[in-house]
Amino acid sequence: MNPKEEKVKIITEEFNENDEDAGVGRQKKSSKIVRQKRKKRFQARAPLRSKPEPPLPALLRRSDPPWLGASPCEANLLKLPTTGLQEMVSENPHLGNQPEPLQEDSDIRPLSMTARRGPRSLPPIPSTSRMGFAEFSMRERMREKLQAARSKAESTLLQEIPTPRPRRLKSPSEKELETEFGTEPGEEVRRTQQEDDSQSQSRVKFHDSVQKIKSKPPVPPGFPSAEEAYNFFTFNFDPEPEESEEKPKAKKRDGTTQEEEEGEEEEPPAQGIHKTDEEELLSAKEAEDLLLGLDHTAEDFVAVRPADYESVHIRLQMEKELLFVPSRLTVPTYKKLPENVQPRFLEDEGLYIGARPDMPRTCQNIMENRLLMQEPGGRWFGDDGGILALPNPIKLFPSRPPVLTQGQDIKAELETLYKKAVKYIHRSQHMIGSGDSPGNFQLDIDISGLIFTHHPCFSREHVLAAKLAQLYDQYLARHQRNKAKFLTDKLQALRNAVQTGLNPAKTPKSLDTTQKTINEYKSEIRQTRKLRDAEQEKDRTLLKAIIKVWKEMKSLREFQRFTNTPLKLVLRKEKVDQKADEEAYEAEIQAEISELLEEHMEEHEQKMEEYRAAYQQWKAWKKAQRAKKKKKKQEVEEHPEEEMEEPYPGEDPVKPVPPEPTDRALMEQQVRERAARSRRRPGEPMLVPELSLAGSVTPNEQCPRVEVLRREDVKRRSIHLKVIFNDKEVSRTDSRPLGADFRVHFGQIFNLQIFNWPESLTLQVYETVGHSGTTLLAEVFLPIPETTIVTGRAPIEEVEFSSNQHVTLDHEGVGSGIPFSFEADGSNQLILMTSGKVANSVAWAIGENGIPLIPPLSQQNIGFRSALKRADAISSIGTSGLTDLKKLAKWAAESKLDPNDPNNAPLMQLISVATSGESYVPDFFRLEQLQQEFNFVSDEELNRSKRFRLLCLRSQEVPEFRNYKQIPAYDREIMEKVFQDYEKRLRDRNVIETKDHIDTHRAIVAKYLQQVRESVINRFLIAKHHFLLSDLVVEEEVPNISILGLSLFKLAEQKRPLRPRRKGRKKVTAQNLSDGDIKVLVNIIRAYDIPVRKPIASKFQQPSRSSRTFSEKHAASPTTHSPTRSADYPLGQVLVRPFVEVSFQRTICHTTTAEGPNPSWNEELELPFRAPNGDYSTTSLQSVKDDVFINIFDEVLCDVLEDDRERGSGIHTRIERHWLGCVKIPFSTIYFQAKIDGTFKIDIPPVLLGYSKERSMIIERGFDSVRSLSEGSYITLFITTEPQLVPGESVREKELVARYVSLIPFLPDTVSFAGICDLWSTSDQFLDLLAGDEEEHAVLLCNYFLSLGKKAWLVMGSAIPEGPTAYVLTREQSHYLIWNPCSGHFYGQFDTFCPLKSVGCLIGPDNIWFNIQRHDSPLRINFDVAKPKLWKSFFSRSLPYPGLSSVQPEELIYQRTDKAAAAELQDRIEKILREKIMDWRPRHLTRWNRYCTSALRHFLPLLERSRGEDVEDDHRGELLKQLGDYRFSGFPLHMPYSELKPLIEAVYSTGVHNIDVPNVEFALAVYIHPYPKNVLSVWIYVASLIRNR
Amino acid sequence: MAEVHVIGQIMGATGFSESSLFCKWGVHTGAAWKLLSGIREGQTQVDTPQVGDMAYWSHPIDLHFATKGLQGWPRLHLQVWSQDSFGRCQLAGYGFCHVPSSPGTHRLDCPTWRPLGSWREQLARAFVGGGPQLLHGDAIYSGADRYRLHTAAGGSVHLELGLLLRHFDRYGVEC
Repeated sequence: MNPKEEKVKIITEEFNENDEDAGVGRQKKSSKIVRQKRKKRFQARAPLRSKPEPPLPALLRRSDPPWLGASPCEANLLKLPTTGLQEMVSENPHLGNQPEPLQEDSDIRPLSMTARRGPRSLPPIPSTSRMGFAEFSMRERMREKLQAARSKAESTLLQEIPTPRPRRLKSPSEKELETEFGTEPGEEVRRTQQEDDSQSQSRVKFHDSVQKIKSKPPVPPGFPSAEEAYNFFTFNFDPEPEESEEKPKAKKRDGTTQEEEEGEEEEPPAQGIHKTDEEELLSAKEAEDLLLGLDHTAEDFVAVRPADYESVHIRLQMEKELLFVPSRLTVPTYKKLPENVQPRFLEDEGLYIGARPDMPRTCQNIMENRLLMQEPGGRWFGDDGGILALPNPIKLFPSRPPVLTQGQDIKAELETLYKKAVKYIHRSQHMIGSGDSPGNFQLDIDISGLIFTHHPCFSREHVLAAKLAQLYDQYLARHQRNKAKFLTDKLQALRNAVQTGLNPAKTPKSLDTTQKTINEYKSEIRQTRKLRDAEQEKDRTLLKAIIKVWKEMKSLREFQRFTNTPLKLVLRKEKVDQKADEEAYEAEIQAEISELLEEHMEEHEQKMEEYRAAYQQWKAWKKAQRAKKKKKKQEVEEHPEEEMEEPYPGEDPVKPVPPEPTDRALMEQQVRERAARSRRRPGEPMLVPELSLAGSVTPNEQCPRVEVLRREDVKRRSIHLKVIFNDKEVSRTDSRPLGADFRVHFGQIFNLQIFNWPESLTLQVYETVGHSGTTLLAEVFLPIPETTIVTGRAPIEEVEFSSNQHVTLDHEGVGSGIPFSFEADGSNQLILMTSGKVANSVAWAIGENGIPLIPPLSQQNIGFRSALKRADAISSIGTSGLTDLKKLAKWAAESKLDPNDPNNAPLMQLISVATSGESYVPDFFRLEQLQQEFNFVSDEELNRSKRFRLLCLRSQEVPEFRNYKQIPAYDREIMEKVFQDYEKRLRDRNVIETKDHIDTHRAIVAKYLQQVRESVINRFLIAKHHFLLSDLVVEEEVPNISILGLSLFKLAEQKRPLRPRRKGRKKVTAQNLSDGDIKVLVNIIRAYDIPVRKPIASKFQQPSRSSRTFSEKHAASPTTHSPTRSADYPLGQVLVRPFVEVSFQRTICHTTTAEGPNPSWNEELELPFRAPNGDYSTTSLQSVKDDVFINIFDEVLCDVLEDDRERGSGIHTRIERHWLGCVKIPFSTIYFQAKIDGTFKIDIPPVLLGYSKERSMIIERGFDSVRSLSEGSYITLFITTEPQLVPGESVREKELVARYVSLIPFLPDTVSFAGICDLWSTSDQFLDLLAGDEEEHAVLLCNYFLSLGKKAWLVMGSAIPEGPTAYVLTREQSHYLIWNPCSGHFYGQFDTFCPLKSVGCLIGPDNIWFNIQRHDSPLRINFDVAKPKLWKSFFSRSLPYPGLSSVQPEELIYQRTDKAAAAELQDRIEKILREKIMDWRPRHLTRWNRYCTSALRHFLPLLERSRGEDVEDDHRGELLKQLGDYRFSGFPLHMPYSELKPLIEAVYSTGVHNIDVPNVEFALAVYIHPYPKNVLSVWIYVASLIRNR
Repeated sequence: MAEVHVIGQIMGATGFSESSLFCKWGVHTGAAWKLLSGIREGQTQVDTPQVGDMAYWSHPIDLHFATKGLQGWPRLHLQVWSQDSFGRCQLAGYGFCHVPSSPGTHRLDCPTWRPLGSWREQLARAFVGGGPQLLHGDAIYSGADRYRLHTAAGGSVHLELGLLLRHFDRYGVEC
């Protein structure tokens, strides 16, 4: 084929070259045309050949059925048109074999060639060029004509064409080619046949005839129409679709033309006619073509065809071949698995296989079959032969959130609740509905009946019957449980287990585990045996009791000759095989004995072991002891002093005693005894009691009268119950008569629609006798059902009740609560109370939708539970609330949970953890998992951080750190000592420190005070953080008409009124202040009666006495005091040069020096104020404890010029200052009072060495009358703060702490609770604590006065400097005295210098009077409380005195103070003070004058004795005698002792230490005078001495 | 040992249909957090805006935390309440937002929501006041499946928080 193809190609190329010329060169030479034609023919063939392979099989297959199935004649017919073709084909070998001659041939005999191949060459023409039809047909016609002429001439030549062609036709190898080409001529033939039958006939003839005819065929196809050409053309290029269309055509035509053709074959064709005909036809056709070319073609394109149909069978047949239908039959497993492989089921091996997706079996079969066919190899199949599949991924429940329908399945945390808009959220604890979902809850109470176990109307028989019934019930219950049997079985089983366990052959387990289990078994056997014995004994006693009661009952029935109860007891005897029984009995005993023996042996063994150990120890000790003794002896010789340390610490061990072995016989005896007691004897029949109601009751007629009466009484009685819910009757049952058997049947159900949470549920049993009233027999308390108990599930329960009623009846009834006896002699009395049982059931109702109508228990619980659910492994499987893991494990085992199912994994883990015994089950619950793993630092480190600690402490307002400013940013910047105080305080909270307090009692008290103070302050701090509106909002009052009016009036006011009024300063709320903002202004105006210097007289001058005595003072008589002295004072020399020094918070300011005893300074001193810790909050300011000390000094100029010669040239003086006295004003007073204005008494020590209270007549005279009553020195002051501070209000806090305060057993002074509250304590508490403020002092003083029989009142008012305070008023014969309880001073009512400035109310023992007079100054008021116009009494006629009892104790108990302790304290104080003074003089040497000190010490008790009065001169004289060489100044201080600090402070404030004269010496003496109850009076004598030269 | 200082204020709220509003707020932290000082929760005043619709509270928040871990970063939960003309209070919205985790000043807008309730409750709310509230307030910030709740949007609360972080870099946390 290849060479052939090549040729074809060459030719084609050649042709192609000339192709263009084909259309154009029509007028060229004939030879040329011929050559062209020949070329064209090749070309026509070329396309066919160019793609020979693909179309051929297609053609074959498609055309097979029609062609193959054709009849032989058809085959013949087929041969006909193919002849030309065969020629051509046959030519091919020619061409191949002899290319040269052919070429030459074509040149030489072009005509013959064309003539011969004419018909074949024609069809390709249209393919050569795509010209218009007209042009094309024109050319055709020309050519046809030419051909016709040639063919005539060449007809003879054609005959010589070799014959083997037909033969070749038949060769199968040529078949393809034949058909290939044959089709087209066939078609052409048919086409022509269609046009002209005759033509076809001629062709047939021509076909049949030999050579001539053979030459003919080219003629008929010599004129193919344009359509044909086109068809051919299309066929060439797209053969397949053309074929399909042509097939049916061919078929059809075959059918129609077959006969004709046959017929025609026989007819001999007339060639000549044919030719002419043909020519004619051709021309006609050409004309037609020319005219109607287009129409013609259109018809030819469209072919009407019948529906393509294949019969079902064929189709099925075909389908069978084409399609694969897998079988539905089950595939045997061996096919699916590799050869010789057994299917393996993983599930059986225990591996987890999830549930496979649900799939019909047939589907699976089909799939398997298909897989087997399609992809053999089995990789689709698993080990078990099934198709590999994942577990079913489909969840059984929809995962999309369900559409929320009302109130369904909402998680508890997300539950919402409609809340009404309310102002206050109040919650009543019993209401369900207050905070929770509105309740529609229902409790169903089913009362089925009531049985009396005792009733007053019981006859004796009834009593016994009840007892019997009760015992029988008990018996039945026991019988049902049959615990003895169970325990016996268990025992047996255990014994067996031990037996098998002991046999090592049977148990392959390791030895120690068996030993262990056996030991366990044994201990269990022991316990079980004990239990069993107890049970058996109980059974037996019960049986005995039943029989006993029954016997009693029988005898009673006989005795009374009638029967009341139908009870009847039958004892059924069950025979037993005596021998077997005996054997079993004996075996049991033997087993027990052996066990016991073993047990004892073990015990004995153990004891022996212990004994041995102990013995060894003892021995060793003995040995050691002996060795030690020896050693000791040696040591003693060497170091005799060490002997004492040697004694052996423990007591000597006792020599152990070996334990006794056990005796078998004794034990056997014990066992037998026990068995006899608790067990049925061998051979004894088993007794089974049966109680029946079969007996008959004696009818009334046969009964004695009393019994009849009783029965009638019973009949008259009826019972009903009341249902009490939360103490309210909600319903009651019908009244039912009491039956003769004392049973009442109700059978009623009460549905309680409840709103409140059930607190109590009670049934009251009422009994009605006849028509008389009902009596309450008893109350039955029913338990509130659990929430799990709902109606239908609740069992009927019997709740017992009993009554304490006492009933005595006049008939057979035994009554209730009274003694009766079964014996004739009345012994063995019984007292029975009415009692019974109510059969009932209480349950929660179930709503319509199946939801139990139970009020929610508590929201917290539910929330907790549901929160747990998420983390709970158990709840994941849908069972929640299982807490017993053992049970859970059991359940898991029973329900055969798949341990491999991932769903169960957490549960399995849990169980494995729980059941694996020693494994660790955490008993904690971790809130935040993995927290620790991600922590930056540990807790300890966090807590160690000083900065954080400081921040926290500050935030907690711990006193030490409150208002701590600027906490450093780094830990390293924080000193450790910051916390020292705090830690010390924490540490010392419970440690009593005696260092500061010296005596223990006071230390305890101080500690106690401190604690109370702390706790009060803590509470107060909490309270402080609750704010009221007024705390936060300062609202200017909206001016109303009155204010406006007033302000209008103000317009008319004088600008500068004649009497100016003080205007309030602007007050500053103490918040935005800082250090230095607040100043304390002290205005010192003047002083009176300052002591004056005494000239240093000679030693022997007798000092004059002060004219005033205590007695004078006491009488407070207005005797004029005539100064007697002053004569010896040198005129012209200043008596005294006082100046005032004010010290506050260790800041000191002093005035200029004035002169004379009544100096006038009129100076303003300014002292800065620093709040503690810089905290300027109100509370902080209130608790400032600092005092303002106002000290008055005398400035003394001393001439220190030692050399008289220099006196002329220079002045050399030293300024000395001598303390004269002081006034102490606490800052809190200034703070609360805002200002202090007045004249104060100067605290001047009773003895002031070197000074006297002499007054210069000249100066003093003018004031004499005014100050006639005065005594001592005074100073006029005005103190205030700048700016003015708003004092904290302390009213509201009172309420807050009031409750707490009531719990405190004592009330300390105000400084402790500054601004918080004022606490009053009773006198005994006051005395115990030895601390208290004015109130306590005043109360105690007042009480003392009252007990002395004086008329005394408590005065509430304000005084200077204390502020609001309490004084005591006493009534003397004609006048009143005002006592200052703190200082003990007293003043006459009209004393101008009385510190009490206003009086608010008076409190007497039985009433309170309020001052309603115009004035409140004690000078100007009348103290006559009987006058209602002046004093408003609290208890009046409208509110009489109710006779309140006093809070004070009846009497105060005083303990004697330990004098030795006081002396010790005195020494310690002295020592401490000395040290302090030395500390205060760091740059100077402090010398102590012992001589002076001892003198002072002697003198101090005198002072105490005389209470500081009238000793000055004696004392001075004495001192002068002793220390004549010294100039000295000094003074004794007197104060009550509380603690050390105030003493130190007082000494410091005197400034004694400030003297820096070089050769100064000091003297200090302390004296403590003890009073009962640890009240100590402290005297401190300080003096400085300068030696006179 | 790291520190977080939250200093800022609850500015106010907008977008609420109710007028007189106040806000209850609280800060929730994990167990690793320690409040050094400051108050964890509080309540603002009632503000009735006269101009505009923003209720201003300007409520200070001043919290100082020390922490040993990042878990449980502080989060603010808010409850906006409204007060009607009778002085009754009712819920207007729940809100929740984390305290920002980067230092600096942050303006936060915290949208709020409130439970819608059944139509009956809605009706009652419209006419007589009150409204459904969460029984457990921690559902505001806890991750319970809240999708079951039907809620209505409230307005939003505006916060301005200044954050100071300290020592986080010491533990490898970059802020």
